[in-house]
Amino acid sequence: MEFLAFLDVTFFLLAGLGALVGIIFGAIPGMTATMAVAVCLPLTYALGLHHGLALLLGLYVGGISGGMVPAVLLNIPGTPSSITTTFDGYPMAQKGEGEKALKICVVASVVGGLISAAVLFLFAPMLADFSIKFSYVEKFLIILLALSVIASLSSSMLIGIFSGVIGIWLSLIGDYGISDGGNGKTRLMFDFMEPYLFEGFSLLPVLIGVFGISTILLEAEKGAKSGLVNERIKLSKGGFFSFSIFKGRLTNLVRSSFIGTFVGMLPGVGGSAASVLAYTQEKNLTRDSSQMGKGAPQGLIASESANNALTGGALIPLLSLGIPGDSTTAVLIGAFTLQGIQVGPLFIPENADTWYVMMTALVFANIVMFFLMFFAIKYIAKVVMVPKHILFPIIVMMCVVGAYAINYGIMFDVWTLLIFGVLGYLVQKIGLEVAPLIIGFILGGQAEVYFVKSLESFGTYSIFFTKSPIALVLWGLILASVVFAIVMGLKSRAREKMELSQVTGSTHTLAGKGHDTNKD
Amino acid sequence: MESGLSSLLSVSIDFETSHLFFPKVINWLMAGLFVLILVTKVAPFMAAVKRGERTLPIVGEARDNFRFFGTLALIAAYFYLMAVVGNMFPYTGYGFLIVSIVFLFLMSLLYLHDWRKKTITILVINAIVAPSLAWFILAKLFTITLP
Amino acid sequence: MIVSNKLMTSVGTAALMAALSVSSGVAMAQDGPLRGNIRVVIGSTSTGGDTYQNSAIVVDQLAEKLDLNMKVDAVGASSAFRTLDRDSRGNTLMIFHDQSYLGHLYGVEGYDDIFEKYTVGPTIAINPGNAYLVPKDSPYQTLDDIIAAVGDGETVRVAIQPGGVSEIGFSALKNAISIEHPGQEDNLVAINTGSQSDKNQQLFDGQADVINGTVQANEQYTRLPEDDQKAMRFVWLTARQDTIEQAPEEGLGQTSREQLLEYVEPNVHVTMGDDESFVFDKEFFFLYNKDMDPAIVEQIDEALAEIYAEGEIQEIQKNAFFIPDFKPSDEASEYLAEKMARYEEIINNIK
Repeated sequence: MEFLAFLDVTFFLLAGLGALVGIIFGAIPGMTATMAVAVCLPLTYALGLHHGLALLLGLYVGGISGGMVPAVLLNIPGTPSSITTTFDGYPMAQKGEGEKALKICVVASVVGGLISAAVLFLFAPMLADFSIKFSYVEKFLIILLALSVIASLSSSMLIGIFSGVIGIWLSLIGDYGISDGGNGKTRLMFDFMEPYLFEGFSLLPVLIGVFGISTILLEAEKGAKSGLVNERIKLSKGGFFSFSIFKGRLTNLVRSSFIGTFVGMLPGVGGSAASVLAYTQEKNLTRDSSQMGKGAPQGLIASESANNALTGGALIPLLSLGIPGDSTTAVLIGAFTLQGIQVGPLFIPENADTWYVMMTALVFANIVMFFLMFFAIKYIAKVVMVPKHILFPIIVMMCVVGAYAINYGIMFDVWTLLIFGVLGYLVQKIGLEVAPLIIGFILGGQAEVYFVKSLESFGTYSIFFTKSPIALVLWGLILASVVFAIVMGLKSRAREKMELSQVTGSTHTLAGKGHDTNKD
Repeated sequence: MESGLSSLLSVSIDFETSHLFFPKVINWLMAGLFVLILVTKVAPFMAAVKRGERTLPIVGEARDNFRFFGTLALIAAYFYLMAVVGNMFPYTGYGFLIVSIVFLFLMSLLYLHDWRKKTITILVINAIVAPSLAWFILAKLFTITLP
Repeated sequence: MIVSNKLMTSVGTAALMAALSVSSGVAMAQDGPLRGNIRVVIGSTSTGGDTYQNSAIVVDQLAEKLDLNMKVDAVGASSAFRTLDRDSRGNTLMIFHDQSYLGHLYGVEGYDDIFEKYTVGPTIAINPGNAYLVPKDSPYQTLDDIIAAVGDGETVRVAIQPGGVSEIGFSALKNAISIEHPGQEDNLVAINTGSQSDKNQQLFDGQADVINGTVQANEQYTRLPEDDQKAMRFVWLTARQDTIEQAPEEGLGQTSREQLLEYVEPNVHVTMGDDESFVFDKEFFFLYNKDMDPAIVEQIDEALAEIYAEGEIQEIQKNAFFIPDFKPSDEASEYLAEKMARYEEIINNIK
């Protein structure tokens, strides 16, 4: 237990400080865990390896968790992986259950984080060997499975799929990246756009543009009337939080945590796929998912436990293969190289002390995150009490900072905000859906690389079925997901018809939703 | 039969043109879905518009034009000027700081419904404090590059 | 660890405070043409990679020497070139490596001729790690085995990232085969993939026989037992012999310099014809806007010369497994132009 010598007060203070700063970064729309880790990376020079790792892991855990705050309260995902949190979080906030929603998120987060830490600790080398069984083919199927949520996400399946395909199309603009194994040639654009769009649109500006800026445009159109973001928000009025919410949801919690860990573990499959996949599975497997997307706690649980489970998952390939599992761990690798420490298959056996130190920091950061968030939520939730004429300009400003900083200072990323803000507005106006579009956008690039690379190396479509037993299992899941979507679609259509015959002139809050349901 | 199937499924991708393969798939998919939607959704909808039961989105809707286009114009000006001013003080973040203060003030005014002295004072303070704080913490403390 | 907790605590806190404390306004370097805040953009988007690490080491020292605020931003190649294009004041500088001209030679979109479009600045360091590996149980013991096998008509697949540093060794190998076994070079097949993890994965899947990698990223894999699916073996390091000779004696991880030297020329010989052996050092250097004040070029040259004369930076670089390699702008520009011409020949040969 030599590593205990490294654990001093400073160590815990730094892990705690990291969690706090991380939460703040995550909570600001546009600032991500990756950015928090990146800006604090130079500090690790001065701090030494173990103290540095404490700070960085704290930032990582805090940053991923912080994303839930704007997702729930403002309908803007603070980090890409909290996108599915907006689906149920914001409707709950609108019903005045913002505080309750956030507390559910916090509990789900800490459970996800701790489960993944346990998995990391116990099974890292074994899982790393399992993860390399996933080649391009299997990774493509995982992306396809995550994409299948699109079909069941929207009120009309056709509209949902169409929106998703548009999202994929948008993600393909730019070059077919060399660093992904592409040939670096651009497509889907005109020559004059090349100086700006060479690398395509960046995910984060697109995300906060579509969610943040377009929400502001929709409000502006209505004259930004009420002083508050939503008049109906009466804090804590709509039901208090109690742990009994988790009763009967343990399967969901554990399943989502494992999905998060698992997706985090696969190098190259981005972190945002984790929460989407967990959300898909909850939607498919649970008995009653009709409320999901309208403010169901189960959606929050799935989303948040999965995205926090990412942390432990993404550390698995980092520490046992030397390969980062997501964008944040890719920055984290710098902390090791700066100190002259190699990460690779022999890292854990050769650096046992560092390994235990990291586990301690990870677990501690999760616990600190939990207490910080759980007790601060009451105050954080008051953000929605800030009048619109103060809140909106600040949101725009913070979106600008986040967009500009995400790629270390690219002005076009700021313009992307406006482009996608307007696009998001139009999309909702003409009755398409934002959520599938964004999921398509997030997963589109990866879908392309894995699909094309699989075909390039095997030269036949049949490889997607014959590659391995894992592929067959994934096909089973995809099939189940699609069948489920169709059944759900038929059911809701039947229900709608019944309702429509009873009630005339329904009221819809979202302009876009109004169109589809009526067009059905 | 067997060989027929496998030749049907076989595909060869030339690396030089592999950047066009997936977009082509997606283009066709998108076109197909678009036609489907045109037939099943848009056509009935347009018919309903003709009968006067429904209104066209965007053009046929009531809108607070002043605030809507004001917001668009302000944001566009904000983004544009930030780069211009920022270019005068390279990599100090002053462009962001100065233009943000002006932007916050104007946008707050745009959305303000009750023009009392007190609310305007709050608004001015906010317009100065918020960007300064953001600039100080991010550009100075964390040395993040800002325009 | 004998250092007391208390000491560690105070040192740690002090360091944190120092790092967090506000730098005193905009630093003004009154005595040089370079003034204001300087941003160094790099051709990589990763803050964990070698370009960033190298740039950070040099830029830190440079900022101190010049008493300026300098910041490294990992914006990536295409954005870095564009940012540099727009600023001739000297507030934007760029650091990149051989990819900057190899990309152009391979005809990758977005890469222009750097010697025409920019001013090539001083070189700062070499990353000696560019390597080729095979699975530990591979039938090929040496690179010669591979050349001979391809010459005999066997297909050998090499996983690389196309269009640059990762491909140049492959091209040289192909060129060597076309010289030694004319007409057989097409049996050496490139598997175009992306990141290091993709390349490793190709090897694990049995989709590639050889992969491009680095000493830094793959060293631990070479120490795994042979029955491990992930175990690999170096067959070739592209660096020059005297580059590796400058590496720390203990090498990297548990592979000593002595062991690494087994995989470089002249032990491994990749011919370029006329008894010449192919070597490739991945070198990092500055790039400037063409219209930037030449006085700034000089100022940075001088400052770097002083820094390298002091000798501290060499220690830091070697510690991070980089080989210090300072050449002032003129020398560097000439040297790199010549280097490019050599590789151009190879690439044209195998077209």
